[in-house]
Amino acid sequence: MAAPKHAAIRKAANNLRKKGDISLVDVLTLAEASIHSMKTFIDSLDSSIYKEFREIADYIQKTKQEIGHLQAHDLKSKHIPEAGHELSVVVTTTEEATTKIMECAEEILDADTSDVKAYKELVDGKVMEIFEACSFQDLTGQRISKVIETLEHIETRVGRFASAIGADDSKGPVSEKEAKRNKRKKDLILNGPALQGQGVSQDEIDALLNF
Amino acid sequence: MAVNLSTPVLIVDDYKTMIRIIRNLMKQLGFTDVDDAADGTEALGKMRQKSYGLIISDWNMEPMTGYELLKEVRTDEVLARTPFIMVTAESKTENVIAAKRAGVNNYIVKPFNAATLKSKIDSVFGE
Repeated sequence: MAAPKHAAIRKAANNLRKKGDISLVDVLTLAEASIHSMKTFIDSLDSSIYKEFREIADYIQKTKQEIGHLQAHDLKSKHIPEAGHELSVVVTTTEEATTKIMECAEEILDADTSDVKAYKELVDGKVMEIFEACSFQDLTGQRISKVIETLEHIETRVGRFASAIGADDSKGPVSEKEAKRNKRKKDLILNGPALQGQGVSQDEIDALLNF
Repeated sequence: MAVNLSTPVLIVDDYKTMIRIIRNLMKQLGFTDVDDAADGTEALGKMRQKSYGLIISDWNMEPMTGYELLKEVRTDEVLARTPFIMVTAESKTENVIAAKRAGVNNYIVKPFNAATLKSKIDSVFGE
């Protein structure tokens, strides 16, 4: 629809150029044609700006919803502390069980073997205590399963949030503390225990060092 | 050179359980003079007060790691020749090479057994 409007303006402008003296009617005709044309332009501009604002508003609304789905407060105040507590209990429980097992083994090693019957009784009793101490494995297994569940809970929400807002990963640490920790790990070659199948075996280390 | 079982040994690890395990293994191997320290700094302090014939150290400790302890020991005129075995869960090639460059005498990856510990101690003392 823009072409007839442009033609009207062009015609009015040509008439003005041809005439020696320009009447008010001619000017008004040109002005009217121009206003008509601009009104359409402003109307179309309003419409596109409105559309853009609408899209931005929708995006903000969607992002707010995704932030809500992230359940950040719930994660921070409930899930993560609970997972941390479960892991602390696992550390304590395994340490207690290991200590108990070692105490039993030490008592067996230090026992007097001259009285065979008494020695057998002591060994049988300590072996039973070792079996009892090993029951920690079932409980720690269940606790670790709960921690894995929490990690999956976080993974799902963070993953969904990241894809919803189209986030790109920024490089580098997010805090000075993290930067220091990363630097220490790098400088002191702190990789931690390798996963099964990764890292080198004792035989490979021996070959590597030629000991 | 035969292993002298009265040689003072220093175990360095931040986990009491691991210290206890190594202590028991050393006792089974016949070592009679075994001390322990919870990190590199404490170990260095003990080494400057008592002459140890063998250091068995973990790698990952705070504030001073076993790797830093090894480098400190090797640059200290008095302590430089002390045999040093690294016992660690760090099993990347770069760790092994760094330890060798720093002058480690042997390297044991966790988890390990008594036979491995014995063979590495024998190896350090040239048996």
